[in-house]
Order: sequence, then C-alpha cells, then structure tokens
Amino acid sequence: MRALDALTTPARGSVALAIAFFVAGWTAAAPPEFHLTPEKAELRGRDARQHFLVSGRSVATDAAGSGSRSLDLTSQARFSTSTPDIIAVDKHGVVTPLADGTGWLVVEVSAQTIEAEVTVTQATQELPVDFETHIQPIFTRRECNSGPCHGKQRGQNGFWLSLLGFDDDFDYRAVTKSHFSRRLIAAFPDDSLLLMKPAGALPHGGGVRLPPGGGDYQLVKRWIRQGMPRRSTDSPTLTKLTVFPTVRIMRHDEKQRLLVAVHFSDGTTRDVTEHTTFMSSESPIAAVDEEGTITAGTIPGESTIMARYRGLIATCDVTVPLPKPVPAEFYAQLPQNNFIDGHVWKKLARIGIKPSGPCSDQTYLRRAYIDVIGRLPTPEETREFLGDAAADKRARLVDRLLDRPEYADHWANKWVDLLRPNPYRTGIKSVLNLDYWVRNSFRQNKPYDVFVRELVTARGSTFRNGATTVFRDRRSPDELTTMVSQLFLGIRLECAKCHKHPFEIWRQDDFYSFAAYFARVGRKGGGLSPPISGSEEFVFAKSDGTVVHPRTKQTMAPRPLFGTAEVVPGKDPRTALARWITDGNPFFAQVMVNRVWADLMGRGIVEPVDDLRATNPPSNAPLLEALATDFAAQKYDIKALLRRVMSSYVYGLTSTPTETNVLDTRYYSRHFRQRLRAEVLLDVVCDITQIPEKFDAMPPASRAVEIWTHRTPSFFLDTFGRPDRNQDPPCYRTEDTSVVQALHLMNAPNLHAKVTDDAGHAAELADSERTPLEIVNQLYLLVYCRPPDARELARATELFAERSGKTENGTEVGSVRRQATEDLLWALLNTPEFVFKD
Amino acid sequence: MAVHTNCEGISRRDCLELGLTTMVAGGLASTLRLRGLSAAQSEAPAAKNTRCIFVWLDGGPTHYETFDPKPEAPKEIRGPCQPIATKVPGVHFSEHMVRTAGIADKIAVIRSIKHNHGNHGAGNHYMVTGAPTRIPVSCGAFVSFHPSMGAMTAYDRGTQNGLPPYFAMPQMSRSGGPNFLGAKYAPFVVPDDPNQVGFQVRDVNLPRALNSERFLGRRVLRGDVDRFLRIQEKTAGDPVNAFDEYYKQGYTLVTSPEAQEAFDIDREPETLRDFYGRNEFGQRCLLARRLVEAGVPFVTIRNPGWDHHSKMLDRLNRSLPQTEGGVSALILDLEQRGLLDTTLVVMLGEFGRTPKINKDAGRDHWSNAMSVMMAGCGVPGGQVLGATDKHGYTSSERVLSPENFASTVYTKLGIDPGQILYTPEGRPVHLVSDPTPIRELFA
Repeated sequence: MRALDALTTPARGSVALAIAFFVAGWTAAAPPEFHLTPEKAELRGRDARQHFLVSGRSVATDAAGSGSRSLDLTSQARFSTSTPDIIAVDKHGVVTPLADGTGWLVVEVSAQTIEAEVTVTQATQELPVDFETHIQPIFTRRECNSGPCHGKQRGQNGFWLSLLGFDDDFDYRAVTKSHFSRRLIAAFPDDSLLLMKPAGALPHGGGVRLPPGGGDYQLVKRWIRQGMPRRSTDSPTLTKLTVFPTVRIMRHDEKQRLLVAVHFSDGTTRDVTEHTTFMSSESPIAAVDEEGTITAGTIPGESTIMARYRGLIATCDVTVPLPKPVPAEFYAQLPQNNFIDGHVWKKLARIGIKPSGPCSDQTYLRRAYIDVIGRLPTPEETREFLGDAAADKRARLVDRLLDRPEYADHWANKWVDLLRPNPYRTGIKSVLNLDYWVRNSFRQNKPYDVFVRELVTARGSTFRNGATTVFRDRRSPDELTTMVSQLFLGIRLECAKCHKHPFEIWRQDDFYSFAAYFARVGRKGGGLSPPISGSEEFVFAKSDGTVVHPRTKQTMAPRPLFGTAEVVPGKDPRTALARWITDGNPFFAQVMVNRVWADLMGRGIVEPVDDLRATNPPSNAPLLEALATDFAAQKYDIKALLRRVMSSYVYGLTSTPTETNVLDTRYYSRHFRQRLRAEVLLDVVCDITQIPEKFDAMPPASRAVEIWTHRTPSFFLDTFGRPDRNQDPPCYRTEDTSVVQALHLMNAPNLHAKVTDDAGHAAELADSERTPLEIVNQLYLLVYCRPPDARELARATELFAERSGKTENGTEVGSVRRQATEDLLWALLNTPEFVFKD
Repeated sequence: MAVHTNCEGISRRDCLELGLTTMVAGGLASTLRLRGLSAAQSEAPAAKNTRCIFVWLDGGPTHYETFDPKPEAPKEIRGPCQPIATKVPGVHFSEHMVRTAGIADKIAVIRSIKHNHGNHGAGNHYMVTGAPTRIPVSCGAFVSFHPSMGAMTAYDRGTQNGLPPYFAMPQMSRSGGPNFLGAKYAPFVVPDDPNQVGFQVRDVNLPRALNSERFLGRRVLRGDVDRFLRIQEKTAGDPVNAFDEYYKQGYTLVTSPEAQEAFDIDREPETLRDFYGRNEFGQRCLLARRLVEAGVPFVTIRNPGWDHHSKMLDRLNRSLPQTEGGVSALILDLEQRGLLDTTLVVMLGEFGRTPKINKDAGRDHWSNAMSVMMAGCGVPGGQVLGATDKHGYTSSERVLSPENFASTVYTKLGIDPGQILYTPEGRPVHLVSDPTPIRELFA
C-alpha cells in the first residue's frame, strides 16, 4: 500500500484521518486512521474478483470501555483506479481484472487517499472451473443442497445431492452421471437441465436460483462447456477460511461488511465472500445478510457471525453495547461472593448493562426451596428464616436444603426425564430398576463422573442393575452413540450419523468410530417383546463385535472424537470410552454445569443446554469454563455445584428489571422467571391443601416427583407438560403455559376437591380458633411463602367480614368462614406468584 | 430472519426475534418460533375455517365386512356377510353398513390405501401422523416419532375462541401426541361419557359445587390478590404475560354462554340425540359436532375394539351398527346445518384384515389393503376410489399411501403438507414426506 499524502502519513499503509464526525456524539481525542483490507491483492484469470473493505478507528469512550474501536467506512469511501487499463473497480470496492500488469486501486475517504497494489495475471484467460472449487459452493450458497431441497434424504424430484455438499463423489455422480447424464449438455450448456431449471427456463419447484446472466450462472455454464471437470489431484487443497474482521464493537444500526478468504495449500488465497453462507447466532443483536453485511440491532449483547464455505467455518464476534457508558468503577464495587459474580459483572460491563438489585429474603427462600428440593417452605420454616438475623442465613439455608431427602427425588426426577425409556418397550421392571438406580445415585450424592461411568459401562442383569436398562432400550451402537454424546458431552452426533454436520466438525467416520466402543455390548436373556417385555436380560462385554461405516463399508476401530482412548485388549471397550468421557474432558463438565445452571438460573449459558459447539457460542464462555473447572476440582460433586451457584450474588438477584437490563435475556443481570415443573406444582398443591394425590402403581401418599413412569395417569401432570408417555424416549417436556393449564387450575374437579375437602387444610383453618387475620396470614405464608402486607391483609380479611354479614340464607357463620378460606386459597393458587418461581 | 435450510435450523436468534413481535415470549417462544418458520415455508391453501372429525376405529377394522365386500370370493374369504346396495348405483357395502349405504352419495370410500406396518403400534403411528415409525416397533407399542395430524392442526391454528384446538375423546390414540411440537399441542382429552346424565367436559365447567356467583367473587378476589409484578417490555420475555393471556381466555371460556353451550350436550333435542344413537360413541359424535361448530379445528373420537382376531361376526353385530349409525348421523347432521362443506369427517383404523377367515372365526392384521371413509369439506360424494384385487388381498387400482391420506387431510385443513418443521434440535423435518394429496377428493 502506498500513501499519497506523505505529510499526514504516520506510517506506511495507513493515513491519519479524523472521522469522528461520521458518528454523531463521538468525540475524537486522537487522530484516527483508516486502512484497507486486504492491503494488496492478486487477480488471476479473467473472472477473478476481489472485495476491498475500508476500516477506520474511532477513539470515543463507549460503554465497553475500549476507548477506541474499528468502524467500517467502505460505504463512505470512493473507489477509483489510477490504472484503468489494468483493473476496473466498482463503487462497492470490488476490483476486476482488465489486463496483465500492476494496477493501483485508489480509495478516498473524506479528502484523504490511499492506494493498494493489485497484480493481474492471465487477465484474458478463462481459468479452468472445477466441481469442488467452484460448483459445490454455488450449490451450497444457493441452497440447492440444503435439507429442504435436493439435500434431503432421497433428494427432490429425483435429483439428490449430499447435504450441504459434504460428499463430492456422490454429488459429482448425481450431477454428471445419474439419469443417463441427462442434466448436462456440454455442447449447449444453456440447454442443460442443471441451468434451465434454476434459471427459471423450465418449471423448478425451488424457483429461480441462478438468474441467467448472473455470475454463478456464468460459472456453471463455463464448467459445463469445459467438460464438467473434477478438481485435478495436483491442484491445491483448502486449508482454512479467514474472515475479516474477527471482532467488532458496534453501535445500534451500524453496519459492517465481512470479507471472507479461503487459503490454499500452495499459500494462495481467494476472495470467496460471494460464495460464503453467513449466519448470526443472535440476529436481534447483530444480524447478517446474504452478502455478509452485519447490521447491529436494537438489543444490547453479543452475537457471533459465522461464515461457512465448503465445510470450513470462520467467525466474527460482535458486541453491541448500550449507548450510555457505565464507568468501570460501577462494576468494581459490585459484590462478589465467588468467581461467578466476577464473570457475570465482566460480561455486563462489556455491554454496559447494570444488574438488578438483590431479591428479598422471602423470594430467595422460595426460590431456593423450589430449586433444591422442589417444595415450598412451610409457614414455620418461612417465619424462622425471615426472623433469622444472621448474616450467613442464606448459606445455611442452602446447606440445610441440600441435606434434605427430597433433594434426591427432585434432582433424580430431572435426570430420569433424560434417561428413562418407554416401559411399553423395555418392560416395567427394567424401567423401575433404572428409576431406582438414578434416585439412589442422587441419594448417595454419587459424584457425577462415577454416575456416568457406571451408566456407560453398565453390565449385569436388568433385574438387578438399573443402569443396564439403558442398554436394553438402546440396542444398537449408533443409538447409544447419539445418546451418550449428547447427554454427557453436549455433542450432537445425530446429524453425523448420515452426513457431516453442517455446523460442526464431526464427520461420519467420527460417528462410527465412536459407535465402535459399543460394538461389543452383548445381551442375553429375554429381549424386547412389547408391550410387556417382562423378561430379564443380561448386558455384558462380548469378545468380538464390530461397527461398519455404512458408506465406505470399512470396519471402524474405536476412536474418540478427540484425544485418545485406547482400548485395553481383552477389556470392555466401554471402559476406555467412559474414562475418556469423564476424565478431564472439558465438554463433560461443561454440559453438566450448564444443565444445572439453566435449572437454577432460568436459562442455560448455552442454549439448548446440550448443544455445545463453536457455532453455538455460550453467552458467557469464561463463566461456563470456570464453572466446569470448579466442578471438576470439586470432584464432580453435584451438591457442591448447586452450593456454588446458589451462594453467588448473581443467583440472589431479583427478577425486577432495571432500566438498562430489561432487554437482557441471557447475561444474568436479573433473575429469569420459570413456571414450576409439573411434578413440583402438583406436589406443592397437595402440600398446601394437605390432600395427597393418589397415583396408580405407587404407594399411598406418594409424591408426583416419585413417580417412576410417565404412564402413571394424571391429568394434572399431562396438562402441565410432562413428556408424552408414548414418545420414545419421552423427553420433550414443556415449560410453557397454556389455556388448558389455566382452566385446570381454575376448574379441575380434583383441585376443587383438594381446596374444599373436609379433611383439607382450608377446612382445618376455618374450623380452628384462628382469627380471620391469622387465617389470611397463614394462607399467604403457605402459598406465597411470605406474610401479606397491610393492604393485602385488609383486602382478605374484608372477605371474611363481608361473608360473615351474609347469613341471610340461614348459612352458618362457620361455613362462611370456610368459604372465605377456600376462596382465598383458590385465588392465591391461581395467581402467577404461586405458579412461577420468581 | 436468516434463511434456514440446514441442520442448524432454528436457534436462539429466532427465539429472541419472535419474542420481539409476540406478546407471549419466554417459554412460549420455543413453540412460536416453530410456527413462524413453518408459516414462511410455502403458501398453503386458504382453508383456515375448515375442521376435521377423525373417527379412529382402534384395532384395524375389516375392509370386507365394511366398505369392500367380495361376494365373488370363496367362502373362506368373503366371510359371513352379504353385500348390500347403496344409494350409489353399482356400489355395494357390507350388510351392516345400512345407514352408511343410505348416505353413500355423500361420502367417498378409498379402498386402496396400503402400507407395510401390520401391527397396531406402527399402523396407528403411520395413519395418525402420516409418517412411518423410524424404527420397527411391535403391536403393543405406543410410540410417537412425529407430530400427529391433530397436534399439527393445533399448532397451525392455535387456540380458537379460547377453546383448545385439538380434542380427543375418550382418550388420545397411541400416536396422537404432538412429539417435538411440544406438550402445548397435546389433545385436550374428554374422558367422560357424554351418554351419562350430568356429563360435563372437564375443566371448562365450574366444579359442580360452585355456583357462578361464587366463581365471580373468586375471580374478583383473584384480581385483587394478584400483585405480582409484570415486566411489560415485550423483549424481556416475561412468561407471566402469556399466563395472563391464557387466564383471560380461560375466563372467557368458562363465563361466555356461547362457549359453554359447545360443551352442553343436554341442549340437544332428544330426537337428535336418539338419531346419533344413545350410546357412548354416538353421543361423542354429537359432542364432536358441537365442538367443531364452536370452532374447534380437530376432534378425534377413538372407538376401541376393532381387533377382530376371533368371533368377528358377533363383535361386528354388537359394535358396527352403533359406529356406522353414529357416523352417518354425524354426516347428515353436519349437512343439515351447512357445516359439512367445511367439516371433514374421516373414519379409519390402522389397517385392513386378512382375506382368509381364521380358525377362530376372525380375521388378522392386514396392511396390504384397507378402506378409509371420507366425507365433507369438498370431498365429492358418491365415489369409491381405487380398488383391491378380486379377493381383497391387496390394493390394486389407484394404490395410495398413508402419506397421500395425511396430505389430503392437511390440505383440506389448509395446512401445507410439504412444509418443513424444525425439531428443538434444529433438524428439518418434512411434515409429510410425500405431500401429494389424493386429487379425486378435491372437487
């Protein structure tokens, strides 16, 4: 790059330039600069193109405290050339070759100029077009090979491409050979089906994808005319993809263009921006269009923009802070109970969000009870906690709750959701045994790594070792692979079973190498015979057994997804796999802390909670890593993990938003509300009304959280979204609310009976010597876990007063008291303050 | 919103983006995002005022003794029943189908649907979802790998007039669930027998001991005690806002006389109730009519006991008159009220039954041939579509698949069977893999 204005040039390749006026409200404190990306370029062949971006810096202090940041000035720049016989440039900064030689691109930004050297070779030559390098990216970018179109299983209307072009051989055959090569006519490229359909010359279900005359159309046409070549074996291979820029701090409505280059093994690069597919992890924060232009949205936060080209991925991290700066001291003085708070404050500081204040003791109490043991505190427990003046009462509360027996059932209930099979498939006894095994593990506070090792290597009788039920249910290595990788590593291999995962690094051979660890799982005894499947089955390690790659027909040796996990000859391969999963594997701890965090905080650091990958970034990566490291350091003690999260200051924040954090739904600047789980809700209704539920196949007075199968009939649990018992596995649980839920709480005869039962709590309170004031107080403590305030007390006692005056029908005062008690109880149970964890 | 054409499918950004535009964000977003995406996939016919009553004959009814008699076949195949003439010249049904024969001009019978899932678990799944089971399952299986037509309709239409959009009576059929669409689209089950005196639909009526005055008092009281803070800013995604909306709908349902009327089968004149048949099934047909009249888009009536491995004739003598009587009454009643044009009535089971009468005087499972009845919603009446061979072994003319059947139902309901849905894992799933409806069923 050559500076034209030597006087103002502090260094070669950049020009000092005051650009502060481009962004209103920003004050320039030092001379900013601007530069071109790339600094120089080579154009080879007639059809080469190169995009140039102009970036400048601004020095204003913003919320992120960065002091200075980069800006995209491309749209403000004027592009021209001092060598119009060598190159041409358009107003967007796209340079094309005209003749061989060294050309100069001239860029002008507010009276300052800069030049870039562009070397042109073979300017008049049509370079060879090949399938892998040129045609496949078009199929991907134009979505020809996408899941809904020709990329789906068995293709679309007889034309079948591999999903997103992961299998070049297959696709080349499909395009050039299948259906008697009818898709291509080399002598008359324009008459080829491959062009006529997407160009709209013939009816095409996918509409016009390659407008005639467009660059992609021309490229495909040239390829056909050149005889549809594959990539020659000596041509350089793709090594990596880079995107410019990789980090940006942006203001609302600002734009930033992306430039994507692919690097070849011979050291050359090529501008592939026009053939790259872009996606944003958080469009409302920063969206990206098809051309690769990022637009910052109206919501503060962070977003990762992904650029994908031929299976390679590069990312750009965008932060959109709130416009109003928050001084760093503000975050420095925020309380830090443990490392969690530090990581959360750091993230909030980057975006300029201020956290909400701490929640009240009563909110903390209710929240902690629901989170740890899935119950509400009794009025006595509430009074005691609220009356306790000790500074460490929250910590002691958490310790007490973790020691309660209900902890095991509540947390086991969450885990059996993920593990338990449909009893119609595997049989009642094996499902019951698995349930027992999981509950027992939580009762013992079994370290999580031990829990997983025991599951993954389970052997023995399904009648004796509940953990073996997993192998009774999942009978093939590939079923086990998808389950184990997703549950315990948060790695989703389901896609890789049939094709390379489009946003992951996993390929089919990774999948089947992983599956090979399960190749020697042996079973003997009575297999499945639905709907009874009552037999006993033994799971053991066979001496042989292989997994074959379905495409290459290769026998796969066991190999983990990364690292090593050598199988000891003569030993169960699962042992090696289990060690690899649980011993220092970062995914292992991260997915578990993320699950627990999501349960406690209302949202996972990664969502969905079991989908960890570079292209689905965590909302706070350092926090996730720190939690995982801590979990491992605490020997995978789940209770210690709960204690850690619950003792953070962040856990104790109120859900009430501040002015700056109302838009935050992912950085934990406030508590995120959750509806109580179906089982918890039913159990607390029974606790409050003192009328237990009766469940089939359960001992009397069992709690919903203790149910061992979703087959146990319960309208209540179905209504509140427990998984569909017929689903295999039944794991889709809903946390939504619905009109059916509202109706059920309002009118269900069963709930009505609980509220009005003669042996119920309402009747007992009404029959007692308590004053209306005391009754109201007690009901508020029972349902909301807090005493009523003066206004609430007045309103509710008035209810008793107005009722006691209405005895004209000969109604006795006692029954009026009873009715008032019942009505108040009903009303409280039907409000969100009861149904939600705040 | 970005274009979704791959395994990534939908992600957090859609969740959030929809949160911006919908009142009910937060937890609801997961389901709403699905809707937002699928709606954009392709244009569906504008038939959003249509509905479906789905009569499920659980067990797999015989095609020989219902719609596809084979009088020319040898005795061990043609069975114990005689064909009868119908209102449509040249079309014969089996002898029990007396009332249906009388309205043959209003219905279409498809004699040529076939598949290869000859057990209850898989057959049910295939016929109520339009998708075969992903892995082989067996007879006793109760499985769900794909959203059922009812759940998909609920998902597509949403709540109508405060009424749940998908009803199942007296229980959900095996694979009738929503699968990945989420429990929100599970059927609203009405287990009670509408033939009983004092029948009520659960949860939409006030509990018996509660008079409406007390309910109103409670409602006011609830409003007074409810002082939980709402986060008004929609982007904040406070799930309480959705909860409020549902309570409002719930109140409307409970307190509006129009809505309540839908459930009050006692309002029907005695003669009409008799016309449907004074039995559980007949009265369920009548209740189904009241529900669709009130705007419910999908009602499933499960009619059990069609697995006639033995003593088929005895069991047909008992159940077929009630069943065919109830359904034909339903069709006539719908027609009389002008509802038949917008209401699709279908009747089917998992599969047909074996050609040869077995040693127990029954027929076994047979998925090579089955008869499906359809009426209303523009289905041209008086037609028999397709045929089985001369002995009823297999569909031989105009052979159709469960996918064709499901696509027909969806198209009638204004739902594009070719649309792509995304599972919570982000995997694209075709609603129906072969989205070709049966053209003869469209006038």
